[in-house]
Amino acid sequence: MTAVLRLAALSAWSRRLTLGLSLIAIALAVTLLLAVERIRGDARQNFAQSVSGVDLVVGARGGSVQLMLYAVFHAGAASNNISWDSYRAIATHPAVDWALPLSLGDSHRGFAVLGTVPEYFQRFRHGDGEALRFREGRAFGGVFEVVLGSEVVQRLGYRLGDSITLSHGMSELGPAHGDKPFRVVGILAATGTPVDRTLHVGLEAISALHLDWVGGAPLPGVNIPSELVTKFDLKPKEITAALVGLKQRGDVFRMQRFVNQYRGEPLLGVMPGVALDELWQTIGIVERSLLAVSALVVLVGLAGLAATLLAGLNERRRELAILRALGAGPGEIFLMLTAEGLLVTILGALLGLLLLGAGSGLAAPWLLERFGVVLATRLPGNEELALIGAVILTGLVASLVPGWRAWRRSLADGLTPRL
Amino acid sequence: MAALRITDLVFRWPRQARPCLDITHLELAAGARVFLHGPSGSGKSSLLGLLGGVALPQRGAIELLGTDITRLGGRARDRFRAEHIGFLFQQFNLLPWLSALDNVVLPCTFSARRRERAGSSPRNEAERMLRHLDLGEELWRKPAGELSVGQQQRVAAARALIGRPEILIADEPTSALDAERQQAFIDLLLQETAVVGATLVFVSHDQRLAGHFDRVVALDEINRAAQEVTA
Amino acid sequence: MRKLLLLIAFCFALPVQATDDFRQIKWEALVPRGWDPTKDLKALDLSRLQDSDPRAMEALEKIKTLWDNAPTEPALAGAKVKLPGFAIPLENKGGKISEFLLVPYFGACIHSPPPPANQIIHVVTKKPVANLHSMDAVMVSGTLSLHSASTPWGNAGYRLTLEKMENYNPAPPPEEKRRR
Repeated sequence: MTAVLRLAALSAWSRRLTLGLSLIAIALAVTLLLAVERIRGDARQNFAQSVSGVDLVVGARGGSVQLMLYAVFHAGAASNNISWDSYRAIATHPAVDWALPLSLGDSHRGFAVLGTVPEYFQRFRHGDGEALRFREGRAFGGVFEVVLGSEVVQRLGYRLGDSITLSHGMSELGPAHGDKPFRVVGILAATGTPVDRTLHVGLEAISALHLDWVGGAPLPGVNIPSELVTKFDLKPKEITAALVGLKQRGDVFRMQRFVNQYRGEPLLGVMPGVALDELWQTIGIVERSLLAVSALVVLVGLAGLAATLLAGLNERRRELAILRALGAGPGEIFLMLTAEGLLVTILGALLGLLLLGAGSGLAAPWLLERFGVVLATRLPGNEELALIGAVILTGLVASLVPGWRAWRRSLADGLTPRL
Repeated sequence: MAALRITDLVFRWPRQARPCLDITHLELAAGARVFLHGPSGSGKSSLLGLLGGVALPQRGAIELLGTDITRLGGRARDRFRAEHIGFLFQQFNLLPWLSALDNVVLPCTFSARRRERAGSSPRNEAERMLRHLDLGEELWRKPAGELSVGQQQRVAAARALIGRPEILIADEPTSALDAERQQAFIDLLLQETAVVGATLVFVSHDQRLAGHFDRVVALDEINRAAQEVTA
Repeated sequence: MRKLLLLIAFCFALPVQATDDFRQIKWEALVPRGWDPTKDLKALDLSRLQDSDPRAMEALEKIKTLWDNAPTEPALAGAKVKLPGFAIPLENKGGKISEFLLVPYFGACIHSPPPPANQIIHVVTKKPVANLHSMDAVMVSGTLSLHSASTPWGNAGYRLTLEKMENYNPAPPPEEKRRR
């Protein structure tokens, strides 16, 4: 038996060009399948871990998905701001336990800058109700002080006490606030959420940055140096969004109505749990379609393998007759062909897995910047292993076809095939 | 004990209406060198398949070395073939992607008995046989597909004989060789089978080669099915 | 014969009761006994009023306000109950829900007005549950507790620690049963 299998491997090696093409086709299909599954799972995980214990996310009226994206993920942009007065009306509502204002719009070398209050560092929860911790330093106090997330530090190599400047807008190409540098006073411990990729400053800092700006550009001829900003009133007039926690979670419907019907300006209040659920339902259809298409591609690859093996059977009739003459039975011939198909499938799946690892390393930064999704290069999880198992099983079934054909041929040909 | 005894054999292919083999009696002694004359259409391939145990007759018995292989199951017949019979075909005897040496050793991986009878190291025995058959050492490790036809046939002969099987069945082994080489090859076969003491069944349509054999059997004389067709 | 059948039915009912020590309740049970916001409306004799009398509307508005700020029933603290409702996820951990709100009717978050405070239960799971989506109908079993907090809409809210949750398929209305 092992003699036959060893010969099968050597025989396959002698046909490595055609089998190699099949192997590559299967590998690419498996990579596609696993990538779709991994992005799906990782995106869900990411979204889920980023916010915890928040009853309402409040912003200017618009799309609820958009609001979640910029308020929680610091990705995308808000269409409008909300006034500071509206925020105070909500924050002081008797049903509200706590509220955190958020101001977004600036960036630093691709990372988002968040303007908020020092209470943010005590109040904010993520994952399973975990609080933020400082790895070094403390929260911001003065106007030009900044707290960095762990990934900002890791990628840009900053340390406590360093001085950095921020850019207006979300890209490096926008005008910069070069005349008002910030000092790093705190570094947060890693959370695995967008917090890691964010720089945190006070709301006053955002106001100070835009004191001598109008309409997204600096006023020509007006230059207020950082030492003098405190002479001006730095209280914020607008913020981008707010996170709200209630005394009774059951009051969320009434609070949501209060926000949505607020007379001061058009506002939107979103329940994160419900928004995420709706997001998954919508995305779920797309996800399932993608997964189905990927599965189809895998089937195509395996069918191609079976076709290649079948097509090659004719040339191998002599080879099979020789093996029969040496003492191989038709059952062993069947096993030989099936094993060949299975071997190519397994190698293809493994190659696909390797390609996934390499590819995710390359694509991760782009995905992060565009969609705020972290694609980790890691060992395959349970769902991925299950998918690989399914691919191999299907490959086995597909290989049974040439195996069976070879078995029948072998019986008919005997020792002297009529070529 | 006769090497081969066929009794009342009737064989018909599954989709055919009429049998292609109908042999009442055929007996070959052990160690005999037999020329089996079989033109095409005489049922030669069918007979070889039956002797090899890859097909079963509808009626009759085939006793090889005293064992009626028609009574054996499929796996047992395969094993019998591996252990007691060496085959030599007209061409394409060898796996082209294996070296000449690996081809010769093949039967020893399929049969424990032949491995034992090949001595302590089948590879050494294979080298000895190839040297004996005038195949230079530089050819041993080449892929068999790169050898000339004449060289391939000699390697095939070595493979058929390694481990001293009791029966060697050669089906038109010289038909692909040049006329000058044919005689030399037949002499080689006769010599080598004598050395191992095997029974040689040499099947060919070419009557002119019959001269050197102890016994000549005409298949279309003993096969009644073939006679009915020509009659 | 009837006595025998009754006895057999009883034997079947008993074990079921024993394993299920959660008392099935209706949403009305969450309203304190004796609390009646309609007192004022009942006091008004509607038949005696003129059309479009402002007092009728006032009384109705008063009922709505009272109903909005509905109190909880303190006797239910610690009760092991079981009741059906619709789930609204609060904490969504990638498909597994660790906290959700249970409301008595479908579409509570989009219809107005939302249910009163004593008709919303804040359910906390011991282990996050999978496959729970917005507005799924479920039967929850667990221990009720009262969570105090001073809000404009009440002083305490119901909380339930979840022991068991099943999908809920409401039984067909009684008319259909009679037709068979």
